[in-house]
Amino acid sequence: MGERNNNIFTVFIICGIIMIFTVADFVKHDRVYSETENRVLASKPKFSKEGVLSGRYAEDYEEYVTDQFVGRDKWVGIKTGLDVLLQKKDINGVYLGKDGYLIEQHKPEDFPKEQEIQRLTLLETLVEKWNAQVMLVPTADNILTDKLPAHAAYFDEAAFLERVKEKIGKANYIDVYSVLAEHAQEDIYYRTDHHWTSLGAYYGYYAWVKATGRLPYYYAPDKMQIVTEEFWGTLHSKVRLPRRADAIRIFPETNKKEISVTYDFQKTTHSYYEESYLDTKNKYGYFLDDNHGFVEITTGYARSNTLFVIKDSYANSLIPLLAPHYKTIYVVDLRYFNSRLFSFMEQYLPQESTAAAGNNAPYGNGKMDVLVLYNCVHFLEDFHYYE
Amino acid sequence: MVLMLFSTVSDYVHGRLIECYRGSRKATGLLTSSIIINLFMLGFFKYVDFLIRAVNSMAGTALPLLKLPLPIGISFYTFQTMSYTIDVYRGEAKVQKSLLDFGVFVTMFPQLIAGPIVKYKQIEDRLSDRRVDIQAMSYGLKRFVTGLAKKVLLANNVGELWAEISSMNYSEMSVATAWLGVVAFALQIYFDFSGYSDMAIGLGACMGFHFPENFNYPYISTSITEFWRRWHISLGGWFREYVYIPLGGNRKGRARQLMNILIVWLLTGIWHGAGWNFLFWGLWFAAFLILEKLFLGKVLACFSKPVQHLYACIVVLIGWVFFAVETMEGIMAYLNALFGINGAGLYSSQSLYMGRKYAILLAIAVTAATPLWGSLMKRLKAMGTGYAIALYRLGEKVIPAVLMLMSIAYIVEASYNPFLYFRF
Repeated sequence: MGERNNNIFTVFIICGIIMIFTVADFVKHDRVYSETENRVLASKPKFSKEGVLSGRYAEDYEEYVTDQFVGRDKWVGIKTGLDVLLQKKDINGVYLGKDGYLIEQHKPEDFPKEQEIQRLTLLETLVEKWNAQVMLVPTADNILTDKLPAHAAYFDEAAFLERVKEKIGKANYIDVYSVLAEHAQEDIYYRTDHHWTSLGAYYGYYAWVKATGRLPYYYAPDKMQIVTEEFWGTLHSKVRLPRRADAIRIFPETNKKEISVTYDFQKTTHSYYEESYLDTKNKYGYFLDDNHGFVEITTGYARSNTLFVIKDSYANSLIPLLAPHYKTIYVVDLRYFNSRLFSFMEQYLPQESTAAAGNNAPYGNGKMDVLVLYNCVHFLEDFHYYE
Repeated sequence: MVLMLFSTVSDYVHGRLIECYRGSRKATGLLTSSIIINLFMLGFFKYVDFLIRAVNSMAGTALPLLKLPLPIGISFYTFQTMSYTIDVYRGEAKVQKSLLDFGVFVTMFPQLIAGPIVKYKQIEDRLSDRRVDIQAMSYGLKRFVTGLAKKVLLANNVGELWAEISSMNYSEMSVATAWLGVVAFALQIYFDFSGYSDMAIGLGACMGFHFPENFNYPYISTSITEFWRRWHISLGGWFREYVYIPLGGNRKGRARQLMNILIVWLLTGIWHGAGWNFLFWGLWFAAFLILEKLFLGKVLACFSKPVQHLYACIVVLIGWVFFAVETMEGIMAYLNALFGINGAGLYSSQSLYMGRKYAILLAIAVTAATPLWGSLMKRLKAMGTGYAIALYRLGEKVIPAVLMLMSIAYIVEASYNPFLYFRF
């Protein structure tokens, strides 16, 4: 090829790439919402004089072009693939663990002592005033340590839990860590999501039963029902790599009774499980209809006591298992709850008391069981209430 | 933008007036006025808060900071317009009668934000007489893609390593992590800066301009003197032409020469940023340049090239600490970490993890900072056989295409922002 033709060809190829994407961009319709990213995508910014002068129009336009870039999710996948080629062992805050596990990264520096002390003080008050039981669940990086990449750093939750136990006292502390650690080789965490599996929740239930000295209800882990086998969770959204999907299982025993579940005083259903989520990306929402500020459950069991749970999303797969022990369960998610917690809780105290006598809790005098159920990281990041 | 317009019009007017009054004292006055206006503009917007802070700490006053937004490219275009008036005054360039053409010189977008600093006389003839030819376009596009890849694929990624390390606690940082950090920063700033320069040169070539080179593989230097001939060449050239030589350069005796070097390097340092740490950075290099001129250069020549190279690398890397860490306490803490004085040990599990995570990327980046890849391509072409030429031609097209696609992937991913917790 002559030198001149060669140059033309080079120019053609490079400009061609630019042209292809420019045209494709124009032709494609704008997406409103990204399921994988769980957020609304930027739309075309309105042209305005103030916008241009302040520079915001240009910024917004740039955000618009990148958000609506043709094949966006595939490009992200390419970039992630290149990262893997470079042998990166963590992408976007998620460790690429062994055996197909994606494990969320929690660096020790992200949990300053002051924050911990603040949260523990709030927790202590709750324990003192309500005799609350505390169940803080370790995250996958602390239990599945053999699946982490070499030298990977993680926030030491075992040590943290020791500090919690010291602060609130052994009587109110439920040791989930040891139980999970014992069963670390089983499927107790999802491979593509930061939640624990129903099996993990089952071991959590077991720890609760042991700590509160109850008789366990019989659940059969090997007879769990598969609800879906195509669950790709939050961690998969962060790391767009082909992964084996997770299966979501439930204990069919939880569907035996006629129950009523009311969400935020509005919607009432008769199952712990919301089938519509199984058709979306956010399949974990199947448990207790994803996130609600306040949930009221009538369990259908012939009991007379009440449980009040203060929780994060980890609790959603565990709460159905607690049902046989209570007549009513109230559930509060503090992220959506902004009023004064203690007075709110007082409203739900049952009239007669059948709970364990000898509880000298100032509030409620032991009429209602209170359970704080979080994973360690959410607890340190989110736990907050107004008395 | 108003400032840029003002600077353009001001120096255009100055240029024409200097031409009118050529030879008389008025011309000199006009030159001085142009320089003062430009430096005042630059000084005001860039350095006024620095000066206020300095006055406050020395005089104990509490003057409020102005917190002016830094106009984009101001360090570059003020220097460019100054070079115009100076060149016109010296008769090294013809006055530009067309305000539009002069405006093109100032606002040429390829190199407006990050250089190379183009002296007016370097491109004055091209302003009006430009041919766009396909060979220049082909070269320009390839150059542009190289710059884009340097910035997006190398600089940004290596920058992540620096971002991780720079947010750590320096007093608990091991030696290995600290050195990993400076190396990451050194590579980031090089690929960032030279990437932008490449893109500017490439775009300029597409439009028919021939911009000067700005970087020439600075990290293969074997002395600090050599380093500054390879790093930010256009800035060094500007200071040499308009400050060092007018001050006498090396023609007024040794002592004067060393003083000139000191002055130029203090200015170089402060040009990079309005902070004491930048001043210190300039001073650091001034010291080594002076030492090399005095005796160090001859001493180094006794050693093998690799040893000289090691010396240069270490001096430059330590220099980057002054540049990258902006507080004095931070600098001291980081230097302590570099030399193991903080007692955190030689290496830690963090060093191992980060080292492994970035090993391949760093290897690619380090080799890309040498002429290795470029010379491989050149040797392929020079082999002459039909097979080699065909491979070269193929590579010449495929490599930029692949780099572009990879760059797009990285750019799009940078805005990938999964918002997870609210819903969970």
